[in-house]
Amino acid sequence: VIADNGTQVAYAGPFNLKGKDYSSQPWFLECRQHKACVSETFSGYRDVPHIVVAVRSVRPDGRFFVLRMTLDTERLIQALSSYNTGEHTDIFLTNRQGLMQTPSRFYQGAAHQLTIPLPAYSDRTKALVSNDPDGQPIVIGYAFINTKIVPTSFVLMVVKQKQGMMKVWLDLRSKINWFLFTSSLIIVLVIFLTASFMVSKMFDADREKAKTMVAAEQNGQLASIGQLAAGVAHEINNPLALINETAGYIKDLFTIKKQYGDDPELIEHINSIIETVERCGIITRQLLGFSRHFDVQIQGIHLKNMVFDVLNFYKKEAEYRDIAIHTDIPDEIPLIKTDRGKLQQILLNLVNNAFHALDNGGLLDVRANLDDGGKRVCLAIRDDGCGISEASLSKVFEPFFTTKKEGKGTGLGLSITYGLVKKLYGEIAVQSQLGKGTTFTVTLPIQAERDFSG
Amino acid sequence: MNILLVDDEKKFVVMLAKRLELRGFQVSFVNTGMDAVQLVKTGEKFDIAVLDVKMPGIGGIELRRELHRRDPDMKFIFLTGHGSDNDYSIGAGEATQYLPKPIKIDVFVETLLKVAGND
Repeated sequence: VIADNGTQVAYAGPFNLKGKDYSSQPWFLECRQHKACVSETFSGYRDVPHIVVAVRSVRPDGRFFVLRMTLDTERLIQALSSYNTGEHTDIFLTNRQGLMQTPSRFYQGAAHQLTIPLPAYSDRTKALVSNDPDGQPIVIGYAFINTKIVPTSFVLMVVKQKQGMMKVWLDLRSKINWFLFTSSLIIVLVIFLTASFMVSKMFDADREKAKTMVAAEQNGQLASIGQLAAGVAHEINNPLALINETAGYIKDLFTIKKQYGDDPELIEHINSIIETVERCGIITRQLLGFSRHFDVQIQGIHLKNMVFDVLNFYKKEAEYRDIAIHTDIPDEIPLIKTDRGKLQQILLNLVNNAFHALDNGGLLDVRANLDDGGKRVCLAIRDDGCGISEASLSKVFEPFFTTKKEGKGTGLGLSITYGLVKKLYGEIAVQSQLGKGTTFTVTLPIQAERDFSG
Repeated sequence: MNILLVDDEKKFVVMLAKRLELRGFQVSFVNTGMDAVQLVKTGEKFDIAVLDVKMPGIGGIELRRELHRRDPDMKFIFLTGHGSDNDYSIGAGEATQYLPKPIKIDVFVETLLKVAGND
Protein backbone atom coordinates (compact mmCIF):
# COMPACT_ATOMS: atom_id res chain seq x y z
CA VAL A 1 0.00 0.00 0.00
CA ILE A 2 1.42 3.32 -0.98
CA ALA A 3 0.48 6.64 0.56
CA ASP A 4 -0.47 9.69 -1.54
CA ASN A 5 3.11 11.03 -1.22
CA GLY A 6 4.43 7.91 -2.98
CA THR A 7 5.87 6.17 0.08
CA GLN A 8 5.20 2.48 0.58
CA VAL A 9 3.44 1.90 3.86
CA ALA A 10 2.60 -1.77 3.84
CA TYR A 11 3.93 -4.79 1.91
CA ALA A 12 3.26 -8.50 1.64
CA GLY A 13 5.65 -10.63 -0.46
CA PRO A 14 9.14 -12.02 -0.73
CA PHE A 15 10.98 -8.68 -1.04
CA ASN A 16 11.29 -6.12 1.71
CA LEU A 17 10.48 -2.86 -0.09
CA LYS A 18 8.96 -0.95 2.81
CA GLY A 19 9.61 2.81 2.80
CA LYS A 20 10.49 3.03 -0.89
CA ASP A 21 9.41 6.20 -2.65
CA TYR A 22 7.37 5.62 -5.82
CA SER A 23 6.22 9.22 -6.27
CA SER A 24 8.06 9.63 -9.58
CA GLN A 25 7.06 6.25 -11.10
CA PRO A 26 4.89 6.57 -14.21
CA TRP A 27 2.22 4.15 -12.90
CA PHE A 28 1.96 6.22 -9.63
CA LEU A 29 1.57 9.39 -11.58
CA GLU A 30 -1.07 7.78 -13.79
CA CYS A 31 -2.88 6.40 -10.78
CA ARG A 32 -3.09 9.91 -9.29
CA GLN A 33 -4.83 11.13 -12.42
CA HIS A 34 -7.03 8.12 -13.15
CA LYS A 35 -8.67 5.74 -10.85
CA ALA A 36 -6.42 2.77 -11.61
CA CYS A 37 -3.49 1.79 -13.77
CA VAL A 38 -2.12 -1.33 -15.47
CA SER A 39 1.50 -0.73 -16.44
CA GLU A 40 3.46 -2.16 -19.31
CA THR A 41 6.23 -4.63 -18.69
CA PHE A 42 9.15 -2.88 -17.08
CA SER A 43 12.09 -3.63 -14.81
CA GLY A 44 11.62 -1.79 -11.55
CA TYR A 45 14.09 -1.46 -8.67
CA ARG A 46 14.80 -5.21 -8.69
CA ASP A 47 15.66 -5.31 -12.40
CA VAL A 48 13.11 -8.15 -12.95
CA PRO A 49 10.51 -7.68 -15.77
CA HIS A 50 7.07 -7.32 -14.24
CA ILE A 51 3.68 -5.68 -14.62
CA VAL A 52 2.13 -3.42 -12.09
CA VAL A 53 -1.57 -3.24 -11.35
CA ALA A 54 -2.48 -0.33 -9.13
CA VAL A 55 -5.82 0.96 -7.81
CA ARG A 56 -6.34 4.35 -6.14
CA SER A 57 -8.70 4.58 -3.24
CA VAL A 58 -9.88 7.93 -1.77
CA ARG A 59 -10.25 8.20 1.99
CA PRO A 60 -13.03 10.25 3.63
CA ASP A 61 -10.49 13.02 4.57
CA GLY A 62 -9.68 13.64 0.87
CA ARG A 63 -6.29 11.98 0.89
CA PHE A 64 -5.81 8.76 -1.06
CA PHE A 65 -3.76 5.60 -1.00
CA VAL A 66 -2.82 3.23 -3.80
CA LEU A 67 -3.06 -0.56 -3.65
CA ARG A 68 -0.38 -1.98 -5.87
CA MET A 69 0.20 -5.53 -7.04
CA THR A 70 3.14 -6.83 -9.03
CA LEU A 71 2.83 -9.63 -11.58
CA ASP A 72 5.88 -11.55 -12.75
CA THR A 73 6.00 -11.42 -16.56
CA GLU A 74 7.47 -14.92 -16.65
CA ARG A 75 4.10 -16.29 -15.53
CA LEU A 76 2.39 -14.51 -18.38
CA ILE A 77 4.85 -15.94 -20.91
CA GLN A 78 4.28 -19.42 -19.53
CA ALA A 79 0.52 -18.98 -19.70
CA LEU A 80 0.74 -17.91 -23.37
CA SER A 81 3.14 -20.63 -24.42
CA SER A 82 0.93 -23.21 -22.80
CA TYR A 83 -1.56 -22.72 -25.66
CA ASN A 84 -0.89 -25.44 -28.14
CA THR A 85 -0.94 -23.35 -31.22
CA GLY A 86 1.12 -25.43 -33.62
CA GLU A 87 4.54 -24.87 -35.14
CA HIS A 88 3.63 -22.10 -37.58
CA THR A 89 1.72 -20.04 -35.07
CA ASP A 90 2.95 -17.25 -32.83
CA ILE A 91 1.15 -15.95 -29.78
CA PHE A 92 2.39 -12.91 -27.85
CA LEU A 93 1.52 -9.65 -26.15
CA THR A 94 2.59 -6.29 -27.45
CA ASN A 95 1.70 -2.74 -26.44
CA ARG A 96 -0.10 -0.22 -28.51
CA GLN A 97 3.13 1.22 -29.80
CA GLY A 98 4.25 -2.22 -31.13
CA LEU A 99 6.73 -2.86 -28.33
CA MET A 100 6.96 -6.56 -27.41
CA GLN A 101 5.59 -7.36 -23.96
CA THR A 102 6.20 -11.12 -24.16
CA PRO A 103 8.72 -12.72 -26.54
CA SER A 104 7.64 -13.73 -30.06
CA ARG A 105 9.10 -16.61 -32.08
CA PHE A 106 9.04 -14.91 -35.46
CA TYR A 107 8.11 -11.25 -35.28
CA GLN A 108 10.43 -9.74 -32.69
CA GLY A 109 12.79 -7.12 -34.22
CA ALA A 110 15.51 -4.90 -32.82
CA ALA A 111 14.79 -3.18 -29.48
CA HIS A 112 11.81 -5.45 -28.88
CA GLN A 113 9.93 -3.77 -31.72
CA LEU A 114 7.21 -5.73 -33.51
CA THR A 115 8.25 -6.43 -37.13
CA ILE A 116 4.73 -6.53 -38.51
CA PRO A 117 2.39 -3.57 -38.59
CA LEU A 118 0.15 -3.24 -35.55
CA PRO A 119 -3.50 -3.38 -36.51
CA ALA A 120 -5.82 -0.46 -35.86
CA TYR A 121 -7.66 -0.19 -32.52
CA SER A 122 -10.78 -2.21 -32.05
CA ASP A 123 -12.79 -2.80 -28.91
CA ARG A 124 -13.55 -6.31 -30.03
CA THR A 125 -11.50 -9.37 -31.01
CA LYS A 126 -10.72 -9.16 -34.72
CA ALA A 127 -8.85 -11.01 -37.44
CA LEU A 128 -7.21 -9.78 -40.63
CA VAL A 129 -5.03 -11.02 -43.44
CA SER A 130 -1.65 -9.38 -43.95
CA ASN A 131 1.92 -10.01 -45.07
CA ASP A 132 4.93 -10.61 -42.85
CA PRO A 133 8.28 -8.82 -43.52
CA ASP A 134 9.34 -11.64 -45.91
CA GLY A 135 6.16 -11.14 -47.94
CA GLN A 136 4.56 -14.42 -46.76
CA PRO A 137 0.80 -14.18 -46.23
CA ILE A 138 -0.23 -14.34 -42.58
CA VAL A 139 -3.46 -14.25 -40.63
CA ILE A 140 -3.52 -12.07 -37.52
CA GLY A 141 -6.03 -12.43 -34.74
CA TYR A 142 -5.80 -9.67 -32.13
CA ALA A 143 -7.55 -8.13 -29.18
CA PHE A 144 -6.91 -4.83 -27.42
CA ILE A 145 -7.13 -5.75 -23.76
CA ASN A 146 -9.23 -3.48 -21.58
CA THR A 147 -10.17 -4.04 -17.97
CA LYS A 148 -13.43 -2.81 -16.53
CA ILE A 149 -11.75 0.01 -14.66
CA VAL A 150 -9.02 1.18 -17.05
CA PRO A 151 -7.84 0.40 -20.51
CA THR A 152 -4.44 -1.32 -20.71
CA SER A 153 -1.87 -0.88 -23.39
CA PHE A 154 -1.64 -4.62 -24.01
CA VAL A 155 -2.56 -6.13 -27.34
CA LEU A 156 -2.85 -9.95 -27.58
CA MET A 157 -1.84 -11.10 -31.01
CA VAL A 158 -2.07 -14.56 -32.55
CA VAL A 159 -0.25 -14.71 -35.86
CA LYS A 160 -0.58 -17.73 -38.08
CA GLN A 161 1.31 -18.25 -41.31
CA LYS A 162 -1.15 -19.00 -44.04
CA GLN A 163 1.27 -21.58 -45.41
CA GLY A 164 1.28 -23.25 -42.01
CA MET A 165 -2.48 -23.30 -41.84
CA MET A 166 -2.52 -24.97 -45.22
CA LYS A 167 0.24 -27.32 -44.16
CA VAL A 168 -1.98 -29.01 -41.59
CA TRP A 169 -4.62 -29.48 -44.26
CA LEU A 170 -2.06 -30.54 -46.86
CA ASP A 171 -0.54 -33.00 -44.42
CA LEU A 172 -3.98 -34.49 -43.77
CA ARG A 173 -4.74 -34.56 -47.47
CA SER A 174 -1.51 -36.36 -48.36
CA LYS A 175 -2.10 -38.81 -45.49
CA ILE A 176 -5.59 -39.59 -46.83
CA ASN A 177 -4.19 -39.91 -50.35
CA TRP A 178 -1.54 -42.32 -49.12
CA PHE A 179 -4.12 -44.34 -47.25
CA LEU A 180 -6.38 -44.50 -50.32
CA PHE A 181 -3.49 -45.43 -52.59
CA THR A 182 -2.18 -48.13 -50.24
CA SER A 183 -5.59 -49.64 -49.59
CA SER A 184 -6.54 -49.67 -53.27
CA LEU A 185 -3.18 -51.30 -54.00
CA ILE A 186 -3.94 -53.98 -51.40
CA ILE A 187 -7.47 -54.46 -52.78
CA VAL A 188 -6.15 -54.81 -56.33
CA LEU A 189 -3.52 -57.25 -55.11
CA VAL A 190 -6.07 -59.34 -53.20
CA ILE A 191 -8.43 -59.34 -56.20
CA PHE A 192 -5.59 -60.33 -58.50
CA LEU A 193 -4.40 -63.13 -56.23
CA THR A 194 -7.92 -64.46 -55.63
CA ALA A 195 -8.74 -64.30 -59.32
CA SER A 196 -5.55 -66.06 -60.38
CA PHE A 197 -6.10 -68.68 -57.67
CA MET A 198 -9.65 -69.30 -58.90
CA VAL A 199 -8.56 -69.37 -62.53
CA SER A 200 -5.83 -71.91 -61.78
CA LYS A 201 -8.33 -73.98 -59.76
CA MET A 202 -10.75 -73.96 -62.70
CA PHE A 203 -7.93 -74.78 -65.07
CA ASP A 204 -6.87 -77.72 -62.90
CA ALA A 205 -10.46 -78.97 -62.65
CA ASP A 206 -10.89 -78.79 -66.43
CA ARG A 207 -7.64 -80.64 -66.99
CA GLU A 208 -8.64 -83.26 -64.42
CA LYS A 209 -11.96 -83.71 -66.19
CA ALA A 210 -10.30 -84.03 -69.60
CA LYS A 211 -7.89 -86.61 -68.16
CA THR A 212 -10.73 -88.64 -66.67
CA MET A 213 -12.64 -88.55 -69.95
CA VAL A 214 -9.58 -89.66 -71.92
CA ALA A 215 -8.93 -92.44 -69.41
CA ALA A 216 -12.57 -93.55 -69.58
CA GLU A 217 -12.49 -93.56 -73.38
CA GLN A 218 -9.21 -95.45 -73.41
CA ASN A 219 -10.57 -97.94 -70.92
CA GLY A 220 -13.60 -98.37 -73.16
CA GLN A 221 -11.46 -98.92 -76.23
CA LEU A 222 -9.23 -101.38 -74.40
CA ALA A 223 -12.32 -103.19 -73.18
CA SER A 224 -13.54 -103.63 -76.74
CA ILE A 225 -10.09 -104.81 -77.83
CA GLY A 226 -10.22 -107.26 -74.92
CA GLN A 227 -13.62 -108.52 -76.03
CA LEU A 228 -12.30 -108.88 -79.56
CA ALA A 229 -9.24 -110.80 -78.30
CA ALA A 230 -11.41 -113.11 -76.22
CA GLY A 231 -13.65 -113.79 -79.21
CA VAL A 232 -10.67 -114.52 -81.45
CA ALA A 233 -9.09 -116.83 -78.87
CA HIS A 234 -12.32 -118.71 -78.38
CA GLU A 235 -12.80 -119.21 -82.11
CA ILE A 236 -9.20 -120.36 -82.61
CA ASN A 237 -9.31 -122.81 -79.70
CA ASN A 238 -11.95 -124.98 -81.40
CA PRO A 239 -10.01 -125.71 -84.61
CA LEU A 240 -6.87 -126.08 -82.49
CA ALA A 241 -8.64 -128.72 -80.44
CA LEU A 242 -9.50 -130.58 -83.65
CA ILE A 243 -5.88 -130.48 -84.90
CA ASN A 244 -4.78 -131.58 -81.47
CA GLU A 245 -7.06 -134.59 -81.32
CA THR A 246 -6.36 -135.65 -84.91
CA ALA A 247 -2.61 -135.50 -84.45
CA GLY A 248 -3.04 -137.13 -81.05
CA TYR A 249 -5.02 -139.94 -82.59
CA ILE A 250 -2.31 -140.59 -85.17
CA LYS A 251 0.24 -140.60 -82.38
CA ASP A 252 -1.95 -142.98 -80.41
CA LEU A 253 -2.01 -145.31 -83.40
CA PHE A 254 1.76 -145.41 -83.36
CA THR A 255 2.26 -145.75 -79.66
CA ILE A 256 -0.69 -147.94 -78.72
CA LYS A 257 -1.35 -150.11 -81.79
CA LYS A 258 2.34 -150.70 -82.55
CA GLN A 259 1.80 -151.57 -86.23
CA TYR A 260 3.25 -148.18 -87.40
CA GLY A 261 5.88 -148.05 -84.70
CA ASP A 262 8.78 -148.80 -87.03
CA ASP A 263 8.84 -145.31 -88.59
CA PRO A 264 10.59 -142.92 -86.17
CA GLU A 265 10.53 -140.00 -88.64
CA LEU A 266 6.70 -139.91 -88.78
CA ILE A 267 6.50 -139.86 -84.99
CA GLU A 268 8.86 -136.88 -84.99
CA HIS A 269 6.62 -134.91 -87.38
CA ILE A 270 3.52 -135.72 -85.42
CA ASN A 271 5.23 -134.58 -82.24
CA SER A 272 6.10 -131.28 -83.90
CA ILE A 273 2.40 -130.80 -84.82
CA ILE A 274 1.37 -131.42 -81.23
CA GLU A 275 4.04 -129.07 -79.89
CA THR A 276 2.95 -126.33 -82.30
CA VAL A 277 -0.66 -126.72 -81.21
CA GLU A 278 0.48 -126.39 -77.64
CA ARG A 279 2.27 -123.15 -78.51
CA CYS A 280 -0.87 -121.79 -80.18
CA GLY A 281 -2.81 -122.78 -77.09
CA ILE A 282 -0.45 -120.70 -74.92
CA ILE A 283 -0.99 -117.68 -77.20
CA THR A 284 -4.77 -117.92 -77.09
CA ARG A 285 -4.63 -118.33 -73.32
CA GLN A 286 -2.61 -115.12 -73.10
CA LEU A 287 -5.17 -113.34 -75.27
CA LEU A 288 -7.91 -114.50 -72.95
CA GLY A 289 -5.86 -113.45 -69.95
CA PHE A 290 -5.58 -109.98 -71.46
CA SER A 291 -9.31 -109.70 -71.91
CA ARG A 292 -9.78 -110.82 -68.33
CA HIS A 293 -8.22 -107.54 -67.11
CA PHE A 294 -11.49 -105.96 -68.07
CA ASP A 295 -13.52 -108.48 -66.22
CA VAL A 296 -16.21 -107.54 -63.82
CA GLN A 297 -15.22 -106.74 -60.25
CA ILE A 298 -18.29 -106.77 -58.10
CA GLN A 299 -18.75 -104.31 -55.25
CA GLY A 300 -21.64 -102.55 -53.52
CA ILE A 301 -22.49 -99.23 -55.17
CA HIS A 302 -24.70 -96.41 -53.99
CA LEU A 303 -26.42 -95.38 -57.22
CA LYS A 304 -27.42 -91.90 -56.04
CA ASN A 305 -23.85 -90.99 -55.10
CA MET A 306 -22.49 -92.33 -58.35
CA VAL A 307 -25.01 -90.38 -60.46
CA PHE A 308 -24.09 -87.21 -58.55
CA ASP A 309 -20.38 -87.92 -59.04
CA VAL A 310 -20.85 -88.29 -62.76
CA LEU A 311 -23.12 -85.25 -63.10
CA ASN A 312 -20.53 -83.25 -61.19
CA PHE A 313 -18.26 -83.58 -64.21
CA TYR A 314 -20.86 -81.76 -66.28
CA LYS A 315 -21.91 -79.16 -63.72
CA LYS A 316 -19.80 -76.40 -65.18
CA GLU A 317 -20.78 -77.11 -68.76
CA ALA A 318 -24.42 -77.13 -67.67
CA GLU A 319 -23.91 -73.70 -66.09
CA TYR A 320 -22.26 -72.30 -69.20
CA ARG A 321 -24.97 -73.64 -71.44
CA ASP A 322 -27.85 -72.98 -69.05
CA ILE A 323 -28.86 -76.65 -69.03
CA ALA A 324 -31.12 -77.68 -66.16
CA ILE A 325 -30.30 -81.05 -64.56
CA HIS A 326 -33.11 -82.82 -62.70
CA THR A 327 -32.40 -85.96 -60.72
CA ASP A 328 -34.86 -88.23 -58.97
CA ILE A 329 -33.19 -91.21 -57.41
CA PRO A 330 -35.24 -92.57 -54.50
CA ASP A 331 -33.41 -93.39 -51.29
CA GLU A 332 -35.02 -96.82 -51.07
CA ILE A 333 -32.83 -98.10 -53.91
CA PRO A 334 -30.42 -100.48 -52.17
CA LEU A 335 -26.70 -100.87 -52.78
CA ILE A 336 -26.23 -102.33 -56.26
CA LYS A 337 -23.75 -105.20 -56.42
CA THR A 338 -21.95 -104.46 -59.65
CA ASP A 339 -18.71 -103.18 -61.21
CA ARG A 340 -18.05 -99.58 -60.19
CA GLY A 341 -15.78 -98.61 -63.11
CA LYS A 342 -18.11 -100.06 -65.72
CA LEU A 343 -21.25 -98.52 -64.29
CA GLN A 344 -19.48 -95.18 -64.03
CA GLN A 345 -18.44 -95.40 -67.66
CA ILE A 346 -21.96 -96.32 -68.76
CA LEU A 347 -23.29 -93.22 -66.97
CA LEU A 348 -20.50 -90.99 -68.32
CA ASN A 349 -21.15 -92.13 -71.89
CA LEU A 350 -24.91 -91.64 -71.68
CA VAL A 351 -24.70 -88.24 -69.96
CA ASN A 352 -22.03 -87.19 -72.44
CA ASN A 353 -24.30 -88.20 -75.34
CA ALA A 354 -27.21 -86.31 -73.80
CA PHE A 355 -25.08 -83.17 -73.50
CA HIS A 356 -24.12 -83.44 -77.16
CA ALA A 357 -27.79 -83.74 -78.13
CA LEU A 358 -28.98 -80.91 -75.87
CA ASP A 359 -29.41 -77.32 -77.04
CA ASN A 360 -28.46 -74.50 -74.71
CA GLY A 361 -31.19 -73.99 -72.14
CA GLY A 362 -32.31 -77.62 -72.41
CA LEU A 363 -33.21 -80.14 -69.72
CA LEU A 364 -31.46 -83.33 -68.62
CA ASP A 365 -33.52 -85.65 -66.45
CA VAL A 366 -31.99 -88.60 -64.60
CA ARG A 367 -34.36 -90.81 -62.64
CA ALA A 368 -34.25 -94.30 -61.21
CA ASN A 369 -36.82 -96.76 -59.89
CA LEU A 370 -36.92 -100.35 -58.72
CA ASP A 371 -38.22 -102.94 -61.13
CA ASP A 372 -38.95 -106.66 -61.25
CA GLY A 373 -40.07 -106.79 -57.62
CA GLY A 374 -36.96 -105.02 -56.33
CA LYS A 375 -34.52 -107.33 -58.14
CA ARG A 376 -33.56 -104.82 -60.78
CA VAL A 377 -33.03 -101.09 -60.94
CA CYS A 378 -34.16 -98.99 -63.89
CA LEU A 379 -32.14 -95.86 -64.66
CA ALA A 380 -33.56 -93.46 -67.25
CA ILE A 381 -31.49 -90.64 -68.75
CA ARG A 382 -33.74 -88.29 -70.70
CA ASP A 383 -32.81 -85.20 -72.69
CA ASP A 384 -35.11 -82.83 -74.58
CA GLY A 385 -32.52 -82.36 -77.32
CA CYS A 386 -32.49 -82.98 -81.05
CA GLY A 387 -33.63 -86.62 -80.89
CA ILE A 388 -32.69 -89.50 -83.21
CA SER A 389 -34.42 -90.31 -86.49
CA GLU A 390 -36.24 -93.63 -86.77
CA ALA A 391 -33.78 -94.86 -89.40
CA SER A 392 -30.82 -94.20 -87.10
CA LEU A 393 -32.49 -95.44 -83.93
CA SER A 394 -32.04 -99.12 -84.76
CA LYS A 395 -28.33 -98.61 -85.41
CA VAL A 396 -27.28 -96.54 -82.40
CA PHE A 397 -25.67 -99.46 -80.60
CA GLU A 398 -23.78 -100.68 -83.66
CA PRO A 399 -20.03 -100.10 -83.67
CA PHE A 400 -18.76 -97.23 -85.84
CA PHE A 401 -22.24 -95.78 -86.28
CA THR A 402 -22.26 -92.05 -85.59
CA THR A 403 -24.32 -89.01 -86.54
CA LYS A 404 -21.64 -86.65 -85.32
CA LYS A 405 -19.44 -84.76 -87.75
CA GLU A 406 -16.43 -86.56 -89.18
CA GLY A 407 -13.65 -86.73 -86.63
CA LYS A 408 -15.99 -85.75 -83.80
CA GLY A 409 -17.27 -89.13 -82.73
CA THR A 410 -15.70 -92.57 -83.00
CA GLY A 411 -19.06 -94.25 -83.24
CA LEU A 412 -17.89 -96.54 -80.45
CA GLY A 413 -19.40 -94.73 -77.43
CA LEU A 414 -22.82 -96.38 -77.45
CA SER A 415 -21.56 -99.75 -78.65
CA ILE A 416 -19.06 -99.81 -75.80
CA THR A 417 -21.84 -98.74 -73.46
CA TYR A 418 -23.99 -101.57 -74.80
CA GLY A 419 -21.16 -104.06 -74.25
CA LEU A 420 -20.60 -102.77 -70.71
CA VAL A 421 -24.28 -103.04 -69.81
CA LYS A 422 -24.27 -106.61 -71.11
CA LYS A 423 -21.18 -107.38 -69.03
CA LEU A 424 -23.11 -106.26 -65.97
CA TYR A 425 -25.99 -108.59 -67.01
CA GLY A 426 -28.17 -105.61 -67.74
CA GLU A 427 -30.29 -104.30 -70.59
CA ILE A 428 -30.18 -100.99 -72.41
CA ALA A 429 -33.00 -99.53 -74.46
CA VAL A 430 -33.55 -96.28 -76.31
CA GLN A 431 -36.66 -94.28 -77.13
CA SER A 432 -36.45 -91.15 -79.23
CA GLN A 433 -38.51 -88.69 -81.16
CA LEU A 434 -36.90 -86.35 -83.66
CA GLY A 435 -36.88 -82.80 -82.25
CA LYS A 436 -38.38 -83.86 -78.92
CA GLY A 437 -35.59 -85.73 -77.21
CA THR A 438 -34.15 -89.10 -76.34
CA THR A 439 -34.39 -91.42 -73.37
CA PHE A 440 -31.85 -94.16 -72.66
CA THR A 441 -33.03 -96.72 -70.14
CA VAL A 442 -30.49 -98.97 -68.42
CA THR A 443 -31.84 -101.86 -66.40
CA LEU A 444 -29.37 -103.56 -64.07
CA PRO A 445 -29.77 -106.42 -61.63
CA ILE A 446 -29.32 -105.35 -58.00
CA GLN A 447 -27.14 -108.46 -57.65
CA ALA A 448 -25.07 -108.85 -60.83
CA GLU A 449 -25.70 -112.54 -61.53
CA ARG A 450 -23.47 -114.66 -63.66
CA ASP A 451 -25.12 -116.00 -66.74
CA PHE A 452 -24.23 -119.21 -68.49
CA SER A 453 -24.17 -118.21 -72.11
CA GLY A 454 -20.63 -119.64 -72.45
CA MET B 1 -16.82 -146.92 -68.16
CA ASN B 2 -19.52 -145.53 -70.48
CA ILE B 3 -18.87 -142.00 -71.70
CA LEU B 4 -21.06 -139.55 -73.68
CA LEU B 5 -19.28 -136.83 -75.72
CA VAL B 6 -21.33 -133.80 -76.86
CA ASP B 7 -19.62 -131.20 -79.08
CA ASP B 8 -20.79 -129.42 -82.24
CA GLU B 9 -17.29 -129.78 -83.81
CA LYS B 10 -17.91 -133.10 -85.60
CA LYS B 11 -14.37 -134.21 -86.41
CA PHE B 12 -13.19 -133.22 -82.96
CA VAL B 13 -15.58 -135.60 -81.17
CA VAL B 14 -14.77 -138.40 -83.62
CA MET B 15 -11.04 -138.10 -82.93
CA LEU B 16 -11.54 -137.72 -79.19
CA ALA B 17 -13.85 -140.76 -79.15
CA LYS B 18 -11.29 -142.88 -81.05
CA ARG B 19 -8.51 -141.86 -78.65
CA LEU B 20 -10.62 -142.73 -75.63
CA GLU B 21 -11.60 -146.06 -77.15
CA LEU B 22 -7.92 -146.81 -77.68
CA ARG B 23 -7.50 -146.24 -73.94
CA GLY B 24 -10.25 -148.70 -73.07
CA PHE B 25 -13.26 -146.42 -72.58
CA GLN B 26 -16.69 -147.10 -74.00
CA VAL B 27 -17.66 -143.92 -75.86
CA SER B 28 -20.81 -142.54 -77.54
CA PHE B 29 -20.83 -139.13 -79.21
CA VAL B 30 -23.39 -136.70 -80.60
CA ASN B 31 -23.13 -133.17 -82.04
CA THR B 32 -26.11 -131.40 -80.45
CA GLY B 33 -27.82 -131.21 -77.11
CA MET B 34 -31.05 -132.46 -78.62
CA ASP B 35 -29.36 -135.64 -79.86
CA ALA B 36 -27.83 -136.16 -76.40
CA VAL B 37 -31.25 -135.87 -74.75
CA GLN B 38 -32.73 -138.25 -77.33
CA LEU B 39 -29.95 -140.75 -76.64
CA VAL B 40 -30.52 -140.67 -72.89
CA LYS B 41 -34.29 -140.96 -73.47
CA THR B 42 -33.68 -144.37 -75.16
CA GLY B 43 -32.55 -145.58 -71.77
CA GLU B 44 -28.84 -145.79 -72.40
CA LYS B 45 -26.81 -145.25 -69.20
CA PHE B 46 -23.69 -143.11 -69.12
CA ASP B 47 -21.28 -142.72 -66.22
CA ILE B 48 -19.88 -139.41 -67.43
CA ALA B 49 -21.12 -136.80 -69.95
CA VAL B 50 -18.45 -134.52 -71.49
CA LEU B 51 -20.19 -131.35 -72.70
CA ASP B 52 -18.99 -128.41 -74.78
CA VAL B 53 -20.17 -125.21 -73.05
CA LYS B 54 -20.91 -123.25 -76.21
CA MET B 55 -23.12 -125.00 -78.75
CA PRO B 56 -25.92 -123.89 -81.05
CA GLY B 57 -29.35 -124.75 -79.66
CA ILE B 58 -29.00 -126.20 -76.20
CA GLY B 59 -25.69 -125.08 -74.61
CA GLY B 60 -23.64 -127.26 -72.26
CA ILE B 61 -24.92 -125.66 -69.05
CA GLU B 62 -28.56 -126.06 -69.97
CA LEU B 63 -27.95 -129.58 -71.28
CA ARG B 64 -26.34 -130.55 -67.97
CA ARG B 65 -29.53 -129.62 -66.08
CA GLU B 66 -31.65 -131.55 -68.57
CA LEU B 67 -29.47 -134.68 -68.38
CA HIS B 68 -29.14 -134.47 -64.62
CA ARG B 69 -32.95 -134.36 -64.36
CA ARG B 70 -33.21 -137.57 -66.38
CA ASP B 71 -30.26 -139.36 -64.73
CA PRO B 72 -29.24 -137.99 -61.31
CA ASP B 73 -26.26 -140.39 -61.15
CA MET B 74 -24.59 -138.96 -64.24
CA LYS B 75 -21.31 -137.02 -63.73
CA PHE B 76 -20.29 -134.09 -65.90
CA ILE B 77 -17.16 -132.56 -67.39
CA PHE B 78 -17.26 -129.28 -69.32
CA LEU B 79 -15.06 -128.33 -72.24
CA THR B 80 -14.66 -124.75 -73.29
CA GLY B 81 -12.69 -122.54 -75.65
CA HIS B 82 -12.29 -120.00 -72.84
CA GLY B 83 -8.83 -121.09 -71.74
CA SER B 84 -8.76 -120.61 -68.01
CA ASP B 85 -9.71 -122.57 -64.92
CA ASN B 86 -11.90 -119.84 -63.44
CA ASP B 87 -14.02 -119.03 -66.45
CA TYR B 88 -16.82 -116.83 -65.16
CA SER B 89 -19.29 -118.26 -67.62
CA ILE B 90 -19.39 -121.40 -65.48
CA GLY B 91 -21.70 -121.00 -62.54
CA ALA B 92 -20.26 -122.00 -59.18
CA GLY B 93 -21.40 -125.50 -58.20
CA GLU B 94 -22.79 -126.15 -61.67
CA ALA B 95 -19.78 -127.91 -63.17
CA THR B 96 -18.19 -130.90 -61.59
CA GLN B 97 -15.08 -130.45 -63.69
CA TYR B 98 -13.92 -128.07 -66.30
CA LEU B 99 -11.24 -128.37 -69.03
CA PRO B 100 -9.97 -125.77 -71.47
CA LYS B 101 -9.57 -126.56 -75.18
CA PRO B 102 -7.27 -127.70 -76.61
CA ILE B 103 -7.15 -130.51 -74.09
CA LYS B 104 -4.17 -132.73 -73.21
CA ILE B 105 -5.22 -136.37 -73.51
CA ASP B 106 -3.38 -137.45 -70.33
CA VAL B 107 -5.05 -134.69 -68.30
CA PHE B 108 -8.42 -135.59 -69.82
CA VAL B 109 -8.13 -139.31 -68.96
CA GLU B 110 -6.96 -138.40 -65.45
CA THR B 111 -9.99 -136.14 -65.03
CA LEU B 112 -12.38 -138.85 -66.28
CA LEU B 113 -11.01 -141.33 -63.75
CA LYS B 114 -11.16 -138.76 -60.96
CA VAL B 115 -14.77 -137.78 -61.70
CA ALA B 116 -15.85 -141.43 -61.96
CA GLY B 117 -14.05 -142.29 -58.75
CA ASN B 118 -15.96 -139.61 -56.84
CA ASP B 119 -18.95 -141.91 -56.65
